[in-house]
Amino acid sequence: MSALAECLVAFVFGSVVGLLVQRSRFCNTAALRDAMLFKTFRNTKALLVAMMILTIGFTGFISIGAGNPMRFDVGINQILGLFLFGTGMVLAGACTVSTWVKAGEGNFGAIWALIFTFVGMFLFSLIWSYIYWPPAPSAMTGELSLERLQFGFSNAETLQEKTGIPAIFFGIIQAVVLYGLYRAIKRREATSAATS
Amino acid sequence: MEFFKKTLDPVIALSAIAVLDIFLFLTVGAWTVGGGETMMTGLIAKFFLGDTIDRIPFWHEVFKPDAGYWKIYISLGMLFGAIVGAVASKEFFWRFPKRFSEWIMITIGGLLMGIGIRLAFVCNVSTFFGLTPELNLGGYLAISGILAGAWFGSLIYKRVLEGG
Repeated sequence: MSALAECLVAFVFGSVVGLLVQRSRFCNTAALRDAMLFKTFRNTKALLVAMMILTIGFTGFISIGAGNPMRFDVGINQILGLFLFGTGMVLAGACTVSTWVKAGEGNFGAIWALIFTFVGMFLFSLIWSYIYWPPAPSAMTGELSLERLQFGFSNAETLQEKTGIPAIFFGIIQAVVLYGLYRAIKRREATSAATS
Repeated sequence: MEFFKKTLDPVIALSAIAVLDIFLFLTVGAWTVGGGETMMTGLIAKFFLGDTIDRIPFWHEVFKPDAGYWKIYISLGMLFGAIVGAVASKEFFWRFPKRFSEWIMITIGGLLMGIGIRLAFVCNVSTFFGLTPELNLGGYLAISGILAGAWFGSLIYKRVLEGG
């Protein structure tokens, strides 16, 4: 696929996502924050259903060698980075999706958050250029490296290669776990509705 | 049109997005936002700094600014789709944070999101809609980080709410 076609596909996908998120008021921040603070799960349930569909879809196609999974080494930086991100999204009241969607609704706070996300990224580019950590893609080995706090690379593809079991099998297990969480939320909501 | 009058059930919306994300995964790669935002940051920095940006190793060893990077267009598409939805449903209007504390929280929050994405190489979208469904170890590490971060952020948020 040409670079132009890739950009076009991405734009069409993004446009539909923007429209659906705007019309549904879905927010990833609310999916976590509201569940923790207010014990409401409107967005959490949607997130879990999407993850179930994606898990079955992605692992199903990975099983037959199709698709374009992400390939890069992971490590402590994922925990630290997403800890900072999670704190930031609750403070800003928006995640990466809702900043763009709320900006499209005329919310200047979201535009402000987006500007400072760019500033934060630029600041980190300066820090990275001094510490060279986490490793650049060209320096990634795919192997465990304790001195660099990296665990290497592992996904449904590597699981399939190492065990000889189709990736979809592991996908189904994950989907069942996600469904269990979804059912627990539904039961909790039913109990709350019955007692109120 | 009914679609623009009623709020759509988020379960239906996210199910549709998940199916589309599978098609995207088959053509170019799973839905992500942080990578496109980083490339935009590089392009903006190059616009303001010119060739000076070449002296910052990150911008040639990790992300070389390139306007033809497909992930940029996911974000621009989301903005476009949201504008269409907001205008068609008469929900577009300019609104500004009212309190000074909101401006501070949004500024700090934005900075933390930007630093966090680059430190982790992933954002919330690639965590929940890419890495974890691909059973990537990074997805589980990222989820543990974002849950702890959201909990910590919620404590601060609650304190500010109670204080305000």
